[in-house]
Amino acid sequence: MKNIFVFNWMPLLCGVFATGLAFGQGSSAGVEKFEGGKFPGFVVDEVVVPVPSEIFAVLDKLGSPNWKDELRKVKLPETSDRIELSLVFGDVVAEGFVAVQAQDKQTVEDIGRDVINLAASLGLTKAVRPHAQSILDAVKKNDWKGVRKELDQTQTTVRASMQEMRDDDLSQCVSFAGWLRGTASVTSVISKAFTEDRAELMNQPMLVEHFTKSIAGMSPSARKHPSVAAIAKGLLKIHQDMESKDGNISQDKVNSIKATCEELLTLINKPEPKKGK
Amino acid sequence: MNMPSMKTSLRSRVLVLTAALAFILPIAQGTVDEAHDYAMEAATPFVEQGYTVREDYWNGEVVSGQKLAIKHQLFKGNEYAFWLGTANPDCELELAILDVKGQPVHMERKAAKQTVSVRVNPPKTGTYTVVFSVKSKTERGVTWALAYGYR
Repeated sequence: MKNIFVFNWMPLLCGVFATGLAFGQGSSAGVEKFEGGKFPGFVVDEVVVPVPSEIFAVLDKLGSPNWKDELRKVKLPETSDRIELSLVFGDVVAEGFVAVQAQDKQTVEDIGRDVINLAASLGLTKAVRPHAQSILDAVKKNDWKGVRKELDQTQTTVRASMQEMRDDDLSQCVSFAGWLRGTASVTSVISKAFTEDRAELMNQPMLVEHFTKSIAGMSPSARKHPSVAAIAKGLLKIHQDMESKDGNISQDKVNSIKATCEELLTLINKPEPKKGK
Repeated sequence: MNMPSMKTSLRSRVLVLTAALAFILPIAQGTVDEAHDYAMEAATPFVEQGYTVREDYWNGEVVSGQKLAIKHQLFKGNEYAFWLGTANPDCELELAILDVKGQPVHMERKAAKQTVSVRVNPPKTGTYTVVFSVKSKTERGVTWALAYGYR
C-alpha cells in the first residue's frame, strides 16, 4: 500500500511570486550558509522532518541507551479541540518510536490502540485503521522494523489526509509535537551520558526554524491557540540553545532543550483550560 | 541572482502547476507518482542492505535542466541514501549532496534508467543541501521525485 505525503512544487512560476514571499521568510544566521543567492536554480522550501528513530539509531551506535527508561504513558485528552488532538497524535506516534526502540510490545500495542482512538476523534479512522492494524500485526511478530515503517506511514497518512481536508495547521501540529517528543527522549538519553558526539545530534536549528515559520504561517486562530502559542515561544528558546559558533552544544544547553521540550509536552498532554470556560 | 523559495499551500501549488503546464510546457510524460515509483525502484537494493526508506518525499514538475535545491537535516553516525527518479525517458539526472560550504559530501553515485542514487556519510550533524536536476533530450517539462533512506 502506497501512502504518500506529496510535496508538489512548481519552480517555473517561482519568480512571479517570489519577490513578495521572500521577505516574509527571512533567513537565519548559522543555518543559511549554503549560498542560495549564488545557486543557479530554485530552492524547494519544503522540509522533511526526521522521524525519531533516525536519531535514535545514532544514539544506539554511540552506546546502549536504556530506552525503557524513556517510555511514558500518554494520557489521551477528553476534548474535541482538533489542535489539541493533533498535537497529542504527533506525541503518541513519537512515543511509538520510543517503544519500538525499547522493544516494549505492550506499550506498542497500547499505542496502536491510542492511534485508532485519536484517529476516530479526528475523523480519520478510515485512513489510519489499516496502519494501526499493521502496527499490531507487526509487533506480534516482533517485526520492529515493520512497526517503525508503519509508524512513519501512519504519521504521513494522517498529515496527508489533513492536508487534503485543508487542515494544514493540524498537519503541522502533528509534525512538531512528534519532533518535540523525539527531542525530549534524545536529550534525556544525552543528559544521562553526555558526550560531544551525542550532543551534536541537537544541531538542528534549520528544523526549529521550519517549525517556527510553519506556526507563523498558520491561521490566526491556530496561532493564538494556547498550546501553539506556547510552542512558538518554546521553539525560540530551543533555537537559542542550539546556536553554537563551533557546532558544539554544551550539557547545559542540552538540559535546557530537554526542559523546554518536557514543559511543552506537559502542556500538550494537559492543556490549560480555555478562558471563559 | 537570488532565487527565493516559494511557500504556498499544497492546493494552490497544484492549481498553479496545472495552469502553468497547460499554457507553457508540453505535458510531461508520466506523472510525479510514476517518478516516485522509479525512485523506489532505485531504493530497492539499498533496502536489501538494511536502509529504512522514509515515507515522506519531495516531488513535482519542473522545466527540463532546471537545478533545484532542498535543505535537509542529516545526522552524523547514520548512513543516508538519496534516490532521484523521473517518469520521463531519455533524461540526464544529476544529484549531489553539499555541505554548508557548498562542497560535495556524497559517495557512490549509481545511475540507471530514469534514476540516480547517491550515498552519504555525513561528517557532521547539521543542514545539508541536496542539489539535483532532470534534463530531457526531448521535452521542456519533466517530472521528478526525490526520496531518502537511512541506516
